[in-house]
Amino acid sequence: MIQLSRNYSLPEREEEIIPIKVIGIGGAGSNALDRMVLDGLDKGDLIAANTDVQSLASSVAASKVQLGRGVTRGLGTGGDPQLGLDAATEAGDELRTACGEARLIFLCTGLGGGTGSGAAPVVAELARETGALVITFATMPFAFEGKRRAAQAQEALLELQKISSAVICFENDLMGDIVAPKAGIHQAFAAADVTISQSVRSIISLIQRPGLIRIGFDDLLAALRNSNSRCLFGYGESDSDNRPHDALTQALKNPLMDRGRMLSDATSVLVQVAGGPGMTLSEVEILMQELNRHISDDTQILFGTVVDGRMGNRLSVTIISSLAADGAVVSKPVFERPSAAPVPSPQAGPETKRSPAPELESQPAVEADTAPEAEPSPSPDEPGKFVPEAESAEPPPLVRPLQMIEATLNQPELADETPSEETDSIGDIAEVPEPAAMPQIVEQVREPEPQQPRVILPRKKTTPLKEPKPAENSVAKQEVLQFESVTRGRFEKSEPTIVEGQDLDVPTFLRKNVRVK
Amino acid sequence: MASSDLMVGLEIGTSKICVVVGEGRPDGTIKILGVGQAPSRGVRKGEIVDFETAMKCVHEAVVDAETKSDVMIRSVYVGVAGAHIQSFNNRGSVSLPEDRDEIDEQDIEDVKTNAREVSIPSQNAFLHSIIQHYHVDGQDGVLNPVGMLGERLEADFHIIHGVRTRIQNTIRCVKELPLDVEDVVFTALAAAQVVLTPHQKSLGALVIDIGGGTTDYILYVDGAVKQSGVLGVGGDHITNDISMGLRIPMTRAEKLKVEEGAVTLGNCLPGETVQLKDDSGFAGKEIERETLNTIIHLRLRETFELLKRKLEEEPFINYIGEGIFITGGCSHLKGIDHLAEEVFELPARVAHAQTMSGLTSAFENPQFSAAIGLIKYAQAVQVDRRPTGGIRRIFGKIFSGMR
Repeated sequence: MIQLSRNYSLPEREEEIIPIKVIGIGGAGSNALDRMVLDGLDKGDLIAANTDVQSLASSVAASKVQLGRGVTRGLGTGGDPQLGLDAATEAGDELRTACGEARLIFLCTGLGGGTGSGAAPVVAELARETGALVITFATMPFAFEGKRRAAQAQEALLELQKISSAVICFENDLMGDIVAPKAGIHQAFAAADVTISQSVRSIISLIQRPGLIRIGFDDLLAALRNSNSRCLFGYGESDSDNRPHDALTQALKNPLMDRGRMLSDATSVLVQVAGGPGMTLSEVEILMQELNRHISDDTQILFGTVVDGRMGNRLSVTIISSLAADGAVVSKPVFERPSAAPVPSPQAGPETKRSPAPELESQPAVEADTAPEAEPSPSPDEPGKFVPEAESAEPPPLVRPLQMIEATLNQPELADETPSEETDSIGDIAEVPEPAAMPQIVEQVREPEPQQPRVILPRKKTTPLKEPKPAENSVAKQEVLQFESVTRGRFEKSEPTIVEGQDLDVPTFLRKNVRVK
Repeated sequence: MASSDLMVGLEIGTSKICVVVGEGRPDGTIKILGVGQAPSRGVRKGEIVDFETAMKCVHEAVVDAETKSDVMIRSVYVGVAGAHIQSFNNRGSVSLPEDRDEIDEQDIEDVKTNAREVSIPSQNAFLHSIIQHYHVDGQDGVLNPVGMLGERLEADFHIIHGVRTRIQNTIRCVKELPLDVEDVVFTALAAAQVVLTPHQKSLGALVIDIGGGTTDYILYVDGAVKQSGVLGVGGDHITNDISMGLRIPMTRAEKLKVEEGAVTLGNCLPGETVQLKDDSGFAGKEIERETLNTIIHLRLRETFELLKRKLEEEPFINYIGEGIFITGGCSHLKGIDHLAEEVFELPARVAHAQTMSGLTSAFENPQFSAAIGLIKYAQAVQVDRRPTGGIRRIFGKIFSGMR
């Protein structure tokens, strides 16, 4: 019987609760905060920061910071980022106090306007200085808001990407897709807020919920590793009979997901499945199987699962990933790897993590500015390996083949992820020839573009090993294979009958996990 | 006997191919002259997957029917099923020209054409468009508007469509024999013609035809078809489940299902077993009856639940006054009606063709409902050319591009 035992849930570890703050900057930011309050975000302190006093007064956030008392005197910035920047600088002390002891700070802002574009980078900087990790949710303006705003937004976004640990960028234009054409414009704006609120909430619970297969900060950062990129985010929840399917469908429907099409290009995808005590392994399997159809075989899946009594009957799935934009300035990886290294320790002592993170932070920013090309970054990683051929390759034309080969490159890495005993046994059966051949190709190819984040994967991979239940993961995967190969019996070669996401050719008792013997 | 009165229904099922030869009587009844059948091969889930083999089987069945009924079969009505068949309701409307206010036959045709002007997937073809009700100038529930005065004629149609090539495959399979295809009929629609009386149709009834490869359903409310469709699950799936759950070969599983299978749970003594004899008569495996029934029960319950959810997408299931009629090969399973009652919360019964004369004993078998229904349908279509008052609501077929 594969059903997860009901009393399996790990005891909640209170000391793991990380102090979290959510700062909304500008009008869009406070709108997003309001939405989070409506949605019942209870785990973080909400701070609204705005130049416009009126808007600030109407915000429901617990604490409020008025930006630019002297500069704007309670009015807005009139769309001038410089004014926003000055205002935020002026309120520096207040902001610093507001950030306080938080270890994780979410910034929500709408870029394009004065306060958002101008103040957000300053606030992000301040937040970093307090030693917290900063995840920025930025909304890009609608195309119809004009090129000037778009340019301001773009500039601010670049700035934020240098400063924040991760930037999740929402494009308002995409939000339009989920809103009916006839709906009012406020609904389109609200759609962005809802999505941001969902993301913040799910990321918070993602990090804070003690999981059977835990997802930590490191995994999150790995998934968001490509900066200057398009972030894929999806969250779905369902309590129907067919909840794995429904939740996944809903998650893929998220405008940032592009119905899962983009997922196939992602290098790594973070998936967390959360459910009440009644969640079964087979449900998780069904969900992952279905998700796998959207993901290429070489994608690294950072999988986590959580049993949370409060979920009751519901099952939720959170998918986070990012795609590198072509020719992206990749500054994050350099920072990320070191930040990942201390992660195993936070479980024991959170403080250790804080100190390395910020100082490394400054490094990548500089590097990214000065040299996005191939040469400089090899050294931080593994100098001996990368330097020799670095200059011979010219990155741009190589990008495509590289990505393809890198995709295959992930294969051995994935094997690394599973515990070594596991790898051995699997290797015996099938994968022996591959690893032998692969590394050579891999090494040649790696050199030209070492700043690509994926190179760092092997290191990162060590952290999941520390997770409480790595075996669970691999067991689940093997089970899937078995199911796939035996269960359709007579209908093996016929067109599958898929209704409501279930393959009806598979015997009902197997799908429902009813024991018949 | 005029040849036009001879009607042949051919159902290419997943487990058997069935040919029913019938003769229309002047009083509107039908006499069954003979039934030919052959085990079906090359058909999965109601669709032909092996053309050559399926053709041979059809030929066998036709020859069998010819021998038994002592007639020469030239043309047939063919039943089609398959999960590709879908349906929806649509309303068409036409305005009468200024200078005329009496509705005539042409307007009826026009309104039907109008109702069909909806987008179905490009690879699909219309199979049926069945009139539900007419509305004349907002007056609801008009059964036959010809001759009525009005300015605006509207009509609700139930439109059934399916993938063109798959339907054509079935047609071609028959034409190569060679036999003429008079018409192609959705099997559930055919089955409903003989399972339900007009009275039951007007009270509201659901017909579920659980065959070998598919479960076809059709829902009548107020005497009109409101919902219909196909679920690609049938008796084969039960057999497959048994075969895999008990680890026995398919043929054995099929036999076990037919001979011992039941749907009800908790009806067996604890530890009650079924002896599985192998071909040579030696006692083989012992199988716990409850296990067998559990497998069948789970599959059928799921099928009914899926069906229920599908039906609940529209409100019509709430208007069923008469109940559920289960037919098709799988309705032989003991207790299936109770399960349906439990799932749908409606009275359910196993039903077979009612309104036939002739070799009744042979045909009071739910397996033949659809094939016999084809004949009834054929008769209805022929009679319908001169409508006999609202009973039969099938006004010919939309067949464009298929023949």
